[in-house]
Amino acid sequence: MPLTKRILKNVGRVPIELVSDSRGFLEERRISRDAVRQGKKDLFITSQKGEFIKSCPCTPRYIGCNYFIINLDLNCPLDCSYCILQYYLPDPILIVHANREDLWTQLDAFIDKNKGRALRIGTGELSDSLVLDHITENSKDLISYFRGKNPVLFELKTKTVNIQNILETEPASNIVISWSLNSPRIARSEEKNAPAVEERIEAARRVVDKGFFVGFHFDPLIRYPGCEEEYESLIERLLNRISPGKIAWISLGSLRFPPSLKPLIQERFPRTRIIYEEMVSGSDGKLRYFRPGRLDLYRRIIRSIKENGGEEVPLYLCMESVAIWREALGWVPKGKGSLENYLSSPLGNSKV
Amino acid sequence: MKREKLDIKEIFLKDERFRTSYHFSPEKLKHSLKVVGLLNPPLVALRNNRFILVSGWKRVLACAELSFSPVPVLITEEKDDLKTFLMAFYENLATREFSLLEKAEILTRLKRFGEDEKRITQHYLPLLDTPATLAYLDTYLAFSQFEPEVKKAIHEKRMSFLSVKPLVEFSSQEREWLLPLLLPLGQNKHREMLEDILEVSKKNDTPVQQILFSPEIRAIQESKTLTPLQKADRTLLLLRKKRYPALSSMQDSFESLLRKMDWPEEIRISPSPFFETENFTVTFDFENEQGLKASLLKLEELSARRDFAEIFKLK
Repeated sequence: MPLTKRILKNVGRVPIELVSDSRGFLEERRISRDAVRQGKKDLFITSQKGEFIKSCPCTPRYIGCNYFIINLDLNCPLDCSYCILQYYLPDPILIVHANREDLWTQLDAFIDKNKGRALRIGTGELSDSLVLDHITENSKDLISYFRGKNPVLFELKTKTVNIQNILETEPASNIVISWSLNSPRIARSEEKNAPAVEERIEAARRVVDKGFFVGFHFDPLIRYPGCEEEYESLIERLLNRISPGKIAWISLGSLRFPPSLKPLIQERFPRTRIIYEEMVSGSDGKLRYFRPGRLDLYRRIIRSIKENGGEEVPLYLCMESVAIWREALGWVPKGKGSLENYLSSPLGNSKV
Repeated sequence: MKREKLDIKEIFLKDERFRTSYHFSPEKLKHSLKVVGLLNPPLVALRNNRFILVSGWKRVLACAELSFSPVPVLITEEKDDLKTFLMAFYENLATREFSLLEKAEILTRLKRFGEDEKRITQHYLPLLDTPATLAYLDTYLAFSQFEPEVKKAIHEKRMSFLSVKPLVEFSSQEREWLLPLLLPLGQNKHREMLEDILEVSKKNDTPVQQILFSPEIRAIQESKTLTPLQKADRTLLLLRKKRYPALSSMQDSFESLLRKMDWPEEIRISPSPFFETENFTVTFDFENEQGLKASLLKLEELSARRDFAEIFKLK
């Protein structure tokens, strides 16, 4: 497949193994003391046998944002302590799906079926969208596919500064390059292998200078003594560097995870303290901060965004309840169209 | 393999290299020996000119208590400890279930006798109905290092893997302190207490010792009026408050509000679990129209009170 050839050319001289049956190969990695970390060391190129495009599962009993995900690559070489992928993905291995022609066919059908909708679709749910971009050059292919397909909005979501291919690509009004941001303290202690937050902001600035819209995801917000001030200061720095008019959206979400992820985090990250904050079982069964604690954090951050020039930037909450939406943002989206239109407004899609 | 009769004193029981079962009561076996004698000969091996026991510890110890001698034995000529141990392992595997601690001892022996970790994980853990990962192997190996009194408690309370696992996180000294707190509790509460202690310790960077010997916990533990179970329950409640201070405080405020309103017991009101939504639930029973009307009337009265509105301000 052409993508396989491209990857092999881009990785340079690394050991390559042809695997006829992946079971033994995966079994070897599963028994490891840290199968998740072990799996980040190998890249498995294969075909996507199922559907590439899925509706983001969100979580039961909380408000979803009608996002669609493209399962292009699975897993991520970054090693964030809180990452759901370490629990969610069945195989502890980095996977690239190389059957690109099938992807384009499926995307054509999907977009055709949803004609006229300001769909938001991205690749950053089951992997970091850009972390392998120097090898796969996914961003070039995807941006060129989605260019001009308005009102569909395509998002590449990352924690990296792997933006060389983006900078070499012509921007388009329906493409959003977004960054997951956290306080520098959390980025240092919990986001292993990810660049510093300031570097991410600088990468976003360069992408804006190139002409792209950008987005920011403060997710997961993590509570610790003094976190509010550190998040506020980060927002001030961010909005000083990035023009709010170029920000397509900012999302906020607080730390949450299924209870079964907790022992895995304890085992893999024995020094982390983030799982020992006051978390309770939410309506979806996931552990999340006790409601007053997360509401307080959202309010402080939202206020800070507004005070720093971001009054017009669309804000949304990820996997939050009606009550929190109402109290933190003052409104609750009703129906699919409401949130889609709201989030597409700065990109000129508001009348869709 | 030879079959012989040995004087029981010829079996050198101090060499426990092949022993994996420690906690058992030989009473039923003794009764059986008295009635039908020893039908299945234990397996012994010769090491340094001594016969040492490979399998059949329960049988031999029961014979010793009954002064049965000589006893029929099977003598293996195998010199390699791993191969010898595997005879006993497979014999037992086919005939009975291993307890948690027996599994721990088996895995420890396999490692001690030179079996490769990867092979132990891939081959033996599934035979012991355990997930084949090195992390599980590490946990079982840690169980085998527990102090004898802790092992005894695990055996007697038939604790599960999940309720024993948190004990690995504590030092030997801490486990000793914890034991009296844990013994009166059932498995679920046992695990809850261990997790709360660990998490309070990690959250507040407080040594376990400081938590266990805090004045509040000491007051409970030294009480002369409380039963051991009451002490354990109260300690658990105290730990919950330390672990979840904001939630506990909101629960206390809610309950105090109901007390202040003199809320009737027959009408039950509760917030959503963990106050996660703004909803409350009211339930009551009735057996006829009058009962229903009486409860609805009472609810109407309660909801008209000014202090009832306080309930919705709990945020």
